[in-house]
Amino acid sequence: MSLRVGSPVAGRVVALSAVPDQVFAEAMVGPGVAVEPIRSKADVVSPLDGTVVTLHPHAFVVANADGAAILVHLGIDTVKRKGEGFELHVVKGEQVQAGQKIVTWDPAEVEAAGFAPICPVVALDASAEVLGDLALDADVVAGDALFDWSR
Amino acid sequence: MADEKAQKILEALGGRDNIIEIEPCITRLRCELEDGSVVDEKALKALGAHGVMRSGNVVQVVVGPEADTIASDIEDLL
Repeated sequence: MSLRVGSPVAGRVVALSAVPDQVFAEAMVGPGVAVEPIRSKADVVSPLDGTVVTLHPHAFVVANADGAAILVHLGIDTVKRKGEGFELHVVKGEQVQAGQKIVTWDPAEVEAAGFAPICPVVALDASAEVLGDLALDADVVAGDALFDWSR
Repeated sequence: MADEKAQKILEALGGRDNIIEIEPCITRLRCELEDGSVVDEKALKALGAHGVMRSGNVVQVVVGPEADTIASDIEDLL
């Protein structure tokens, strides 16, 4: 079984190691990729079918019935924005489908406020070997495949 | 026991008197402490922390996706 993980945002896919945050760059919470988002207001969508198990304005986790959990973090240190500029469209515990709108934000606004808007997309607690077909250096739109997760 | 884990993390952070603020952020606890030097990194790792990052009296403990739950369990002990 392989789980296709879609991009939550439009932009350029880069290696997780390019993220200016040690926790993500060193894959401490799991492997994945990051997306350098297009700098305009946009909807962020779920990377997979599942349940919203954690929800903050600036980050969320969607887990499927198999227990595969994907973390999407919208920008670095954006917890300090305290929700400003993030408009949520779901509640914690809600069932969502891949491609469903989760939150609306503006990466340009985040950047103007002094934060890196790059978006880590992490397969929580996975080992690096189980991720394949990473779309590194590709330009993607929201919903395009980022990687496959062998389950 | 969740509460027991929270208690042990709190002890490894130097106890309740050392805590100024603990804020969860998805996978990590951002801890603002009176004294960052007393943090027991080894104990935190033994409790399941993936990593500990120190920047003076601000210490980030990477605990994984249970960060929100652990932070609220610790808040209950403060």
